[in-house]
Amino acid sequence: MIRDVWIVARKEWLEIFDQLLRFKRGGWSILLIIGFLGVISPLQMGTSWLTSPLMFFYWPLLTTSMTSTLIADAIAGERERHTLETLLATRLSDTAIILGKILAAVMYGAAFAATNLLIGWVVVNLKYGTGELLGIPLARLAALFALIGAGSFFISGIGVFVSLRAATVRQAQQTFGVIILLLMMTPVLFVQFVAPDLQSTLLAHAARLGIDTLSFRVSGGLGLLAMVLNLAAIRRFKRGKLTLD
Amino acid sequence: MTGPAIRVAGLVRDFPKVRALDHLTFDVPAGIVFGFLGPNGAGKTTVIRVLLGLVDPTEGRTEVFGMDPSTRGNDVRLRAGALLEHNGVYERLTAWQNLDFFGRAWHIPRATRTARVRELLTQFGLWDRRDETVGTWSRGMKQKLAVARAVLHRPPLVFLDEPTAGLDPVASASLRDDLARLAGQEGVTIFLTTHNLAEAERLCALVGVIRRGRLLDLGTPSALRSARGAPVVRIAGHGLTDQVVEALATVAGVGSVAREGDALVLRLADGADVPAIVAWLVDAGVGIEEVRRDRASFEDVFLDLVADESRDVPGAGPSGGGP
Repeated sequence: MIRDVWIVARKEWLEIFDQLLRFKRGGWSILLIIGFLGVISPLQMGTSWLTSPLMFFYWPLLTTSMTSTLIADAIAGERERHTLETLLATRLSDTAIILGKILAAVMYGAAFAATNLLIGWVVVNLKYGTGELLGIPLARLAALFALIGAGSFFISGIGVFVSLRAATVRQAQQTFGVIILLLMMTPVLFVQFVAPDLQSTLLAHAARLGIDTLSFRVSGGLGLLAMVLNLAAIRRFKRGKLTLD
Repeated sequence: MTGPAIRVAGLVRDFPKVRALDHLTFDVPAGIVFGFLGPNGAGKTTVIRVLLGLVDPTEGRTEVFGMDPSTRGNDVRLRAGALLEHNGVYERLTAWQNLDFFGRAWHIPRATRTARVRELLTQFGLWDRRDETVGTWSRGMKQKLAVARAVLHRPPLVFLDEPTAGLDPVASASLRDDLARLAGQEGVTIFLTTHNLAEAERLCALVGVIRRGRLLDLGTPSALRSARGAPVVRIAGHGLTDQVVEALATVAGVGSVAREGDALVLRLADGADVPAIVAWLVDAGVGIEEVRRDRASFEDVFLDLVADESRDVPGAGPSGGGP
């Protein structure tokens, strides 16, 4: 099973890299994002780029958005390009196919973040280095990647559901865009209904925990939610239904 | 291999507004090329989907190598290769990557996989373009790659849905040879759907004709021609005017008259008296140069079968003559 999951994930990656290397459909935009996040942003922020708590907001947000573009394409894209039925006619199990696609998307997000962080780290050291190697504290890096992984995994779960129901990639991406917007807006709207006292208590509690611990806890919660979502997605991914859709 | 490769008994598949398959029953012996013929929308692709375990039947029973595809789909797919309605090639991948992916999916060991991919790409004339992304290829080349993919893991059963569609005549002939060799020498069972009736006649040991989900006939191409094809007489000569042709159609024993170049093709009713017809033509002033008895072409038989509404009833008997 693990071997089959990896085989599917590898195929997804080969397809992505063809796009990136040939600068088709998003290839250029990814280079621009890497240029901005990995080069310009560290140059502007200086050494604080390596330690700023802001990274817990924009890295997970960006990586999940990268993951979402790929996962939206996962099933809807295969259907649109008429390759889905051929894939379903192989010996690969339903679970291996869907997990392979999820794995590819999550790894894509994580690789995107890792690449940017690596480039940014080199840039900061080259520009602001004082002889000693500047770095991101290990605990912070682990907390960051836990959040990135859990966020991507969570988004993948939603993406599979959207992709299963969409006839085309465009339709999947549009629906997904609306869902992501709702997910982002809900906490903002929700906060308004929380009593000021409770808000203060929660903020104080978060401050006591520290950004790293808080990130680990949020990642744990998201990870659990993601697991439920992905298990439901696996249950829903059935050959018979997909063939006839 | 003992027993049929495929067994279909009373197969029914309903969709919300239509019955796609209506009590289909047939067997496909192992190691032959089986042609499944029918007009568009007849139900051919649905049968393949059911046999591959991609769609469950509404009623009836199917077996592939003794296994029920609806409960043992993975086992069936393990032993089958398929080129379905669409070629299903990954256009963003190269030809090599396409075959390599499916080779990995079938768990073919690396060395064997590399050799097999090379062998197939060479055999189908695609080796020199193996590193190009398939999206830039012609339809025919993609079709060849899809056929190569279907036989990549040397399955004992191959489903080919219109495999020669989009291929040039040379490539089609070459593919036909490959399919004949696969069945004849390697014992592979090939389930073939095609609209190319000459191809079906040349290649298939057994054909089934389906329309609106019902099996109209089943037998060897020659048995179908013998049983269903009305005798035909080709007459060449001079003086075959339109008036003569018009009058000839009314002569006893003549079913229909058609011009074919300088000759006439007469489809005869049962018990037609050819010498009497020739005598009638001579009396009408026609100078006869050649009279040749023939049988209806396979295409004529097929067209008659699918056009004949009266045959659209359950339990239409087969022509027999299985291999």
